[in-house]
Amino acid sequence: MKKLYFVMALLIVASMVLTACGGTPTAAPTAAPTEPPVVATEAPTAAPTEPPVVELTQADCVKPEVFCVGLVTDVGKVNDKSFNQSAWEGVQQSQTDGVADLVQFIETSDAKDYAKNIATFGDAGFDVIVTVGFGLTEATFAAGAAYPDLKFIGVDQFQAWQFTEDTADDSANVTGLNFPEDNAGFLVGALASMMSASHKIGAVCGTDVVPPVWRFGEGYKAGAAYADGMNGTTTEVFVVYHSDVGFDKTFTDPEWGAQTAKSMMDQGADAIFGCGGLTGNGAITAAAQAGAYAIGVDADQYLTLPEAAPRMLSSAMKLITPGVAELAAMAKDGTIAAGNFTGLAGYAPFHDLDGEVSAEIKAAMEAINAGLLDGSITTGVAPTKPAE
Amino acid sequence: MDWKRFGFIALIITVLFGVVVVVGQAKQPPLLIITSMLATTIAVATPLTLGALSGVYCERAGVVNIGIEGMMLTAAFFGWLGGIYMFQIYHMDAMVSIVLGVFFAILTGAIMALLHAVLSITFKVDQIIGGTVINILAVGLTGFLNRQLFFGKGSVFGGSVPASPGVLPTIHVPITELFTSICGSSAACLENVQAVNRVFDQKPIAMGAILLVFLSHYVLFNTRWGLRTRAVGEHPKAADTVGINVAKMRYANVLIGGMFAGLAGAYFTIESVPSFEPLLTNGRGFISLAAMIFGNWTPIGAWAAALVFGASQALLINMQIYRDVIPPQWAFLQQSYIVGLTPYILTMFILTGIIGRTTPPAADGVPYEK
Repeated sequence: MKKLYFVMALLIVASMVLTACGGTPTAAPTAAPTEPPVVATEAPTAAPTEPPVVELTQADCVKPEVFCVGLVTDVGKVNDKSFNQSAWEGVQQSQTDGVADLVQFIETSDAKDYAKNIATFGDAGFDVIVTVGFGLTEATFAAGAAYPDLKFIGVDQFQAWQFTEDTADDSANVTGLNFPEDNAGFLVGALASMMSASHKIGAVCGTDVVPPVWRFGEGYKAGAAYADGMNGTTTEVFVVYHSDVGFDKTFTDPEWGAQTAKSMMDQGADAIFGCGGLTGNGAITAAAQAGAYAIGVDADQYLTLPEAAPRMLSSAMKLITPGVAELAAMAKDGTIAAGNFTGLAGYAPFHDLDGEVSAEIKAAMEAINAGLLDGSITTGVAPTKPAE
Repeated sequence: MDWKRFGFIALIITVLFGVVVVVGQAKQPPLLIITSMLATTIAVATPLTLGALSGVYCERAGVVNIGIEGMMLTAAFFGWLGGIYMFQIYHMDAMVSIVLGVFFAILTGAIMALLHAVLSITFKVDQIIGGTVINILAVGLTGFLNRQLFFGKGSVFGGSVPASPGVLPTIHVPITELFTSICGSSAACLENVQAVNRVFDQKPIAMGAILLVFLSHYVLFNTRWGLRTRAVGEHPKAADTVGINVAKMRYANVLIGGMFAGLAGAYFTIESVPSFEPLLTNGRGFISLAAMIFGNWTPIGAWAAALVFGASQALLINMQIYRDVIPPQWAFLQQSYIVGLTPYILTMFILTGIIGRTTPPAADGVPYEK
């Protein structure tokens, strides 16, 4: 029996160790405690070469005349072809525009390091810190209180405090860069409706309890209806939101997404919009595999989902790069306001399917986009799902 | 044959389908709805079917296996990883990598099962604890390696997930082609045939799972191997007396069970979507166990029970597709949370034994001491 207990104990200890390790994989192998984990001044992919006027270093950021912008990524790399990269390009643009004198980024490798990475820039005397992704909302808000003299730009971070009665939790220096998801959904909904041969299109989304997801889905419907009105067609739109008891689960269930997309295609749908993290990615991959039109979300997913790229029609995009650059400029001239800032939405290029999209549809898409931008077209989507 | 049980299952599935047909007929012809739901049901039930078969083999031989969830998860990870490794590092053909991935998944399931077998048969550890160890180990191991290999600094794949070789293709069953001449020029006839065809156009593991159900039924109830398996699960002492090696039979069946769980894991990452997520099996291993019990430890019964879970998933999807046409008195169906709970409520009903008692193998979970 002794041997038995030993084996059991060993296995349980091993499994606990592995579970624990799963949480902290990097364990900051190289950096000494005082140094930032990874700081680079240029993107690993070729950045435009700037004329070296004066060689600035991070140490110069404490000087008031040197305007420094730091970017903290969500878990992942800065060249992720998605949110991180778009935000970093925005920061780089602010440098080429002459707004920022020095730009740097820190790549986050674990969600536990959010606060630490933001503090690295805060302590170095940066003027603006950009944090990328919904996941950093709380860390950014907390940092806003810890560094009251700095400006924070939270990409895709909804500032809920702006809508609460209580003013005690208000922030004076955190600006959330949000996007009109309904416009983005509207654009791809119109596109899907015009491209569909069967006049049946589908959308597979995360839970509609999350307002942006709801706006994507309903915007998609509204866009399809608008295109129908324009062309005199009738398009059947299937929109399915994942409703699991577990909230996170609704965004991390690619298998469900794939099955739902397949179910829609079985009923005749020939264009599928996947909105909702990995669940949506599952739907997009399944659609592409079945030869239907696949439509991505947030960023240009042609670049991030190689499996689906050949059938990737477009993506409902949040235009992060210009939003970040604009907010950085506003932070410099002092016009930035804490709270929510609404950026722009758009649609991704057609890439491989460019030849299948007729000139009329391309023109119609440009007209709709222009209409949404100047306000002559409105989606009519409520900001959040109305209570049933 | 336990007709009461099958009748109940058929009733539930008919009701689930019927609801959608009644609601959805305003938008789609009933045949299209039924065939689409059937196709979804069969696909969604695949991992549950294989998981339940895994349980049937183990428990018929007298070894309780609650580690199916962990075996599936580990197999899903290593199958996917193996496919990517072959594809990206050894530059093998995509199809070859995918097929090798399936073998890696099955092998991984077998290795995890071997661990369970060593613990529960050789060391006579409490089998519930052994299974729990496997489940915890699987979560830690896959989560850890997933981070280390793909997201860690200086990792093998340089910090991002590389393109996977893809997923298994759908196998087209040429029913439409067969009926083209019979239908002649009737478009409606051809449309119906195409709708029916979709039910049979499944992917290899989904189709294979159904074949394995009937194969397992034959093996367990019509072969010498099956008789011996059941003997060591019902009365190992008697089996030992007539010269059956109890430990060997149990080892073999637990390993076979592990391979089934491994194939179920392959369904997630190689057949359905080419990506891995920590915890992606999401309790399906445990639902398989419920299906196995509901099916009274028989392969066909377990399959039927798995189909109920698949059908409730299909209901959930279709209720949202037809959200606009749900009549007001059925408004509760629009509450996706209520519909989303269907599989869990069904599980509770099933486990209360409302449709007849279930009888596990007599020596299930009891280590054999000579």
